[in-house]
Amino acid sequence: MAEAILKRVADGDALAVQECLKRYGGLVWSLARKMLRNSDDAEDAVQEIFVDVWKNAARFDETKSSETTFIAMIARRRLIDKIRYSTRRISADSLDDVLLEPFTRADKTLEISIEAEQAAEAMRKLRPEQQQVLRLSIVQGMSHQEISQATGMPLGTVKTHARRGLLQVRELMGLNNDAQEVGA
Amino acid sequence: MKAEEKELLYDLLTKRVIYGLDAEEQAELNSFDPDVVEAEFRSLEIAAAAISMASLEVEPMPEHLAASILENAPSAGQPALEPAAPVFTAADVFNKSPRTSILGWLGWGVAAVLLVVLGLDVYHDRIEPRMEQAKTVEQPPQQQPRVLTPAEQREQLMRSAPDMVSASWAPGNMKDMQVSGDIVWSDAKQAGYMRFHGLPANDPSKATYQLWIFDQTQDKATPIDGGTFDVDATGDVVVPINPRLHATKPEMFAVTMEKPGGVVVSKREKIAVLAKVETQKS
Repeated sequence: MAEAILKRVADGDALAVQECLKRYGGLVWSLARKMLRNSDDAEDAVQEIFVDVWKNAARFDETKSSETTFIAMIARRRLIDKIRYSTRRISADSLDDVLLEPFTRADKTLEISIEAEQAAEAMRKLRPEQQQVLRLSIVQGMSHQEISQATGMPLGTVKTHARRGLLQVRELMGLNNDAQEVGA
Repeated sequence: MKAEEKELLYDLLTKRVIYGLDAEEQAELNSFDPDVVEAEFRSLEIAAAAISMASLEVEPMPEHLAASILENAPSAGQPALEPAAPVFTAADVFNKSPRTSILGWLGWGVAAVLLVVLGLDVYHDRIEPRMEQAKTVEQPPQQQPRVLTPAEQREQLMRSAPDMVSASWAPGNMKDMQVSGDIVWSDAKQAGYMRFHGLPANDPSKATYQLWIFDQTQDKATPIDGGTFDVDATGDVVVPINPRLHATKPEMFAVTMEKPGGVVVSKREKIAVLAKVETQKS
């Protein structure tokens, strides 16, 4: 069954460890590359993320989220920590690419998770400024200050777009408050 | 909760989900009902994780990194599940000491099973080949089956697939394209082939061709990625189709020219050829 790898990891199934890496390695690696923008940092982070995955495998509850999203949550927590304690900042010359990047989701992302598909659909319903702020902050890891400088939006407006946009996406995705718990 | 308090709560939660909080902000968040905070945080975190995946172009993890992670997984006697795992003795095991946590056992269990797997790998990689070598001394060498060319594979598919659809290439929006050929596809086999005559050779270091499958089950704006391919100087090629998703009812195919490695989102600025499905063999 597609969503059962973490249960098997938690149950001590050795092959599941390999399967988990095979299935989610690309996802975690790509998230790290996208947010950290440095291969060396990404490699360190990915190793730490998978240690977190092994530790938290037993906490996965398939009634709360897909396995893919659960692993993405673990990955994001570690990556956010990395960004907070590093001096990494997005380079100015890549800003144009970031800002011009369309949010049209191609079929490749359809296979990632149901939640990803729902989020993409929800994002398309947001105001363009909200989409932009969420994309730059959540996907690219840019700070509110950096987004303000890059887009010319006042800092307060950036924060408002982030808050309202995220809440709206959550609502459009139909997520209630009884959501997945990931260990610290 | 007052409107200002609610706004502050969601400001803090949004920041926690996207960036994490510093000590001062965390203290501020702690002033709210912890049950409300955690419940709100969890659902917002799922939304953020989903957003981060929604536009993600997934690349394969480098092999050396995967190997390194596997080495440090709870498989090589280094129990990652409990970094400070205690050393167990036989007495601990038989007395079922409370120090023996489930996670600790899980680590050892996984290690033991993976050692067996590793042993099997060694067997397959080192011992079995030697046994095979020994066999070849005693037995006459067997002929390797010939690998079919893509053209032959196409013919085989044409003969065996009950639901073949086909379409002929028409010009796209790239100038000076004199391309002919066709594309065939079987839903049942999830396989197909493209034939081209006259498709210009590409420099793989600068650009590649990419197939897009417009399936009736997919939004037109998000066609299925049919894989990338290169064309050598001859311009006569048969290319197998490698769709990233299950294609069920293709109605049109397009080949675009993209950057090396292909793209997730095509701007469709360079469409080499297009093909609309014309026939369906029942």
